[in-house]
Amino acid sequence: MKRIAAIGIVAGGLALGGLVTLFLVLFVARAWWTTPFEVFGFGGAPEQPIAFPHTVHAGVDILVDEDGNHKLDASNEEMNGLGLGCTYCHRNVDKGASASIPPVEQCIFCHKTIGTDLPEVAKLVAAWDNKEAVVWERVHRLPDHVRFVHEPHIRFFTKTGNLLPSGEQAAMAANVCSTCHGDVAAMAEVKQVRSLKMGDCVDCHRNYSAPTDCTTCHY
Amino acid sequence: MGITRRQFLRWSGASAVGAVVFNGCRIPEEELQVESPVDMPEDLVTGIDNWYATICRQDPEACGIIVRVVEGRAKKIEGNPDYPINQGKHNARSEAGLQALYHPDRIQQPLFREGSSEDFSPISWTDARRKITDSLGNLADKSKFLLVTQPLRGHLALLASEFVQAYGGKHMAFETLEQVTLRQSVKDVFGQDRLPDFDIQNSRYLISFGADFLSTWISPVKYSRGYGELRQGPGKRGVHVQVDSRFSMTAASADEWVPVKPGGEGILAMSMVYVIIRDGLGDRGAANVLTGGNGYQALDAFRPDSHDVVEATGVSEERIVELAHVFADQNNQPSLAIGGGSAGAHTSGLFNLRAVYSLNLLVNNVNKDGGVFFNPAPPIERLASQDVMNMGVPASFRDWKEMDSPQVLMIRGVNPVYGLPPDANFVTAVENADFVIAFSSFMDETSAKANLILPEHTYLEDWGDDVPDPGPRYQSMGLQQPVVRPFHAETRSFGDEVLLLGAALNIGLTGRLGIDGNDNPTFQDLLKKGAEKLWMENRGSVRAGTFDGFWNGVLQRGGWWDTEAKERAIGSDPRPLDTIWPNISIEGPTGEDTYNLIPFLSNSIADGNLAHLPWLQAAPDPVTTMVWRTWVEMNTKTAEEKGIREGDMLEVTSSNGTVIAPAYIHPAVPPWTVSIPVGQGHKASEQYSERYAEGIGVNTLSILTPIVDGDTGALAWAATRVKIKKTGEHIDLSRFEGNVPAFELENAKIVQIAPPN
Repeated sequence: MKRIAAIGIVAGGLALGGLVTLFLVLFVARAWWTTPFEVFGFGGAPEQPIAFPHTVHAGVDILVDEDGNHKLDASNEEMNGLGLGCTYCHRNVDKGASASIPPVEQCIFCHKTIGTDLPEVAKLVAAWDNKEAVVWERVHRLPDHVRFVHEPHIRFFTKTGNLLPSGEQAAMAANVCSTCHGDVAAMAEVKQVRSLKMGDCVDCHRNYSAPTDCTTCHY
Repeated sequence: MGITRRQFLRWSGASAVGAVVFNGCRIPEEELQVESPVDMPEDLVTGIDNWYATICRQDPEACGIIVRVVEGRAKKIEGNPDYPINQGKHNARSEAGLQALYHPDRIQQPLFREGSSEDFSPISWTDARRKITDSLGNLADKSKFLLVTQPLRGHLALLASEFVQAYGGKHMAFETLEQVTLRQSVKDVFGQDRLPDFDIQNSRYLISFGADFLSTWISPVKYSRGYGELRQGPGKRGVHVQVDSRFSMTAASADEWVPVKPGGEGILAMSMVYVIIRDGLGDRGAANVLTGGNGYQALDAFRPDSHDVVEATGVSEERIVELAHVFADQNNQPSLAIGGGSAGAHTSGLFNLRAVYSLNLLVNNVNKDGGVFFNPAPPIERLASQDVMNMGVPASFRDWKEMDSPQVLMIRGVNPVYGLPPDANFVTAVENADFVIAFSSFMDETSAKANLILPEHTYLEDWGDDVPDPGPRYQSMGLQQPVVRPFHAETRSFGDEVLLLGAALNIGLTGRLGIDGNDNPTFQDLLKKGAEKLWMENRGSVRAGTFDGFWNGVLQRGGWWDTEAKERAIGSDPRPLDTIWPNISIEGPTGEDTYNLIPFLSNSIADGNLAHLPWLQAAPDPVTTMVWRTWVEMNTKTAEEKGIREGDMLEVTSSNGTVIAPAYIHPAVPPWTVSIPVGQGHKASEQYSERYAEGIGVNTLSILTPIVDGDTGALAWAATRVKIKKTGEHIDLSRFEGNVPAFELENAKIVQIAPPN
C-alpha cells in the first residue's frame, strides 16, 4: 500500500511537473510566436511604411534597382549615393542616449524640391502636408532592463586608436556606427546584423576594457 | 462528468490569470515601432555650423565678413579676421544683411507695368528678357541708353563698362551725398586716382575736418579699428581733434571738438597752413610748392588775426595758431589731417579739402607710418584700366542735372529718385524715358517708377568681388561668394543677366571679356578668369599648385592680397593752393529764425538705402539715442530763447521745400546750425508700401538747396539755410537716453556735455 502511495506521489509529481512544464512551454511559445522574429535578431528586414533607402542617402556606390541593374537618371547617367554622414540625420547620436530618428520636417528640408515625383517621397510629403508622424518599424531594440546610451560609445570609438580591434585608425563616423549596425549605407532595407544580446555587449566591453559591472547597463 | 461550481470558478480564474500573464509577456505593439515626429523639435541638436567668407555689400566700404550657415540658412554675420580692410571687425550695417536676405517684402518674381498703369503684374523671366532685348535692340540712338548703378569696382565694373561700351550707351554711378570733392582733392594734392590709406592707428595727432570717420565716412570700420589703436593709453596714445560744424559721433569721441562755422573748414585749414609756413615749422619744400614759391605772404588773406578768418571760422586767432603749432610740432609727429563729409559739401568744397590735405604735405607724412599711404593699382591689369576705374567714381550733382534724358534707362541697386534733390530732374528723366528697367530686391521710390522690375539675388546669394577703395595700401581683392542657395526661386544675378543680355543683343560682349570659350558663360566664369591671372602670378596670400586649389583658398580666406605689392610712387607735385578767398555761399531764407542746415548720414540706415531693415531702424543714433525717426538737433540756449521744447514739431523750410520733424535739444549743437539725419521719409508709391520704412520721418534730401561746388559740380549739401517754425504739435520722442541711469566706472568720470562759450 505504501508502495502504491509512493508511485502515486511520484506520478502526481510528474504530472504536476509536466503541467508546469507545459505551462512554461505555452508561456514562452505564446511570447515568441506573437513577436516578430526580427526583434530577436532573426530573419530579414521589416517592411517599413516608406521604403527609405539608406543606399541613396548614405551610400556612395553606384545605385542599383531590385533586379540588380544600374539606376539611371534623367540624362541616362549612372547615379551614386549621396554619401551623407550618419549624423546628418541621426543628430542626437553623439549627444545623448538615442540616435534619434529624423523628424519629417528635416526630410522636407531637401524633399521640398528634390524627388517630389517619386511615389515614396510623395508619401513623405503627404505626411508633412497632413502633419502626420511617420511610424517606422523598429529594427534595433534592446529590452527595457538595459540602458544603452549612444553618446559614450560614439565618443569612445571616434577617439583615435580606439576604433576596431583590427587597429584601423581612421575615425570615420560611418565606421564607428557600422561597428554595431553593419554597413547600413549599403542596405536598401535596414536589418540587424549583430545579435546585440548581453553576451555580445559583454564580449565587446571586455575587448575594450570597458566596465562590465552589472550596473553599467542595468540600473 | 459534471463540473462543480467550485471547479468552474477555479478554471475560469486560472484561465483569466493565464490570459493576463501570457499577454503581459508579449511585447506591446508600440514598443516595436519608432516615430518620426512631424516638426523639428526645438531642442534637437541641429547639426554643425559652417562659416563662409564673403563680402558685405551694405556699405560702400565692403567689409570682409564670415557668415554662419546652419542647415543651409545664414544665421549670423561677423567680420572676417583675415580681411585686410576690417580685420575681423564689422558694424551694425553689416550685421543686418541677414534681414535683407529674409525680408518679407523681397520682390520674388519679375514685375511689369504698362506705361500708363500704376499696378505691376508678374511676368516670367523669359518675357522680361525679351522686353529688354526688344527695347534695347530697337533703340535707334544707342547713346540714349543709360545704366545707373552704385559706384562699381572689380569685375562687375569691368562687365558693366564693357557692356556699356559694346552697346554704345552711357553709365553713371550714383552716390547719395557724393564724395566727389574728396576724390578731386586727393587727385590735386597727392596726384592719386585712388583714395589713399590713412594710417590713423599709428598717428600721434589726428585732425579731422568734417569727416565722420567713426560712423559713416568712407571706411568707418577700418577707421574705427585704427582709432582704437590710436587711443591705447599712456605712451602710445594719440590725440584726435575734430573740426566739425556738427557734434557728430566722431566729434563726441574726439579729445577736442572745434565747432567751426559751416563752410569755414577750408579757411581754418588755410590759416593753419599760413601759420605753419610763417613760423617755419613745416617741410620747406612742400611750403614752397604749395605757395608757388611766394612764401606765406601769398596766403595773407588767411592770416589768423584777420577779422574775416575769425568771422568765417568762428574760431579765435589764438586757437588757430595753437592748432597749427601742435599739428606741426616735432613731438607730435607723425600727425595726420583728413577731411571730407560736410567740410567738402560747400560751394568751396574742393578748396576746403585741398587746404586740409595740403597740411599733410607740410608735415611730410606721405608713405610714412601714421600718415598717408597711397594705394597701388588693382592686381588684375584689366581692372586697372581708366574705363573700369571710372565706374567707381560717382557722378556729381551737376552731371545729373546736365545729363541727356535717356530713352532706355537701366537702374541697378540704387534709389536716385529718393536720393537726388528734386532739382536734378531725375524724376522727369525717369518719367520721360520710353522704358525703365530696375534691378532691385525691394520696392522703393525708383523701382516703383520703373516699367520692369527684375529681382536680384542679395549679396549673400550671389557671386562678386571687390577692389577695396580705399585699399589697405597694398594690392588686395575681396571675393564674394553665395553663402546660401537663393532663398527665392525667381531671383537672378545682375552679372549673369547682363551677360545674357549681351548675348541676346549680339554685341560681342563675351568676346570683349575673353570668356567666349565657355558655353553660356556666367559672371562666376568671369571672376574665375580674373582669378586665374592672380594664380599664375604665384604671389600674395594664396598660392597653390592647381587653379582649383587657388580658387578654394581664395574662397576660404574671403579674398587675395599681397602685402608686398605697395605703391612706391609719390605722385606728381601738388597743385599750389588757391590764394584767393573762396566763394562760400549758404543759400536759403534769411532773417529771424534761420539756421544753417547740416544734414548727416544716419549711423545705422546710412543714406536711407537700409531704412527697410528693422534692426537698423531700431539701432539708436550714437549721439541722440534716437530710433525709428527723423529729428531736428537744436542748441539748448537757442531753443530756450525761442520757446522750443524737446518733441515740439518744427517746420523746417528751405527755398526748396518744407519738412516737419520733432526737435531734439542738446547743448552741443552750435547755435547757428540745426542738424537733421538723412535716410527716412520713404514712400514707394500709392500702391506699394515699404513695410518698415514708410511713415517714419522725412526725406531731408528733398529740401536741399541745389547749389554746387564751383570746381567739381558736387552738391553743396551742407550749404542750405532753413527757417524754423513751431507747428504747435508735440510728440514724445522714441529714444534710449534717459531710460538708463549713467554709472560711474572706475577711473572714468561721467562726461557732461556743456554748451560752447
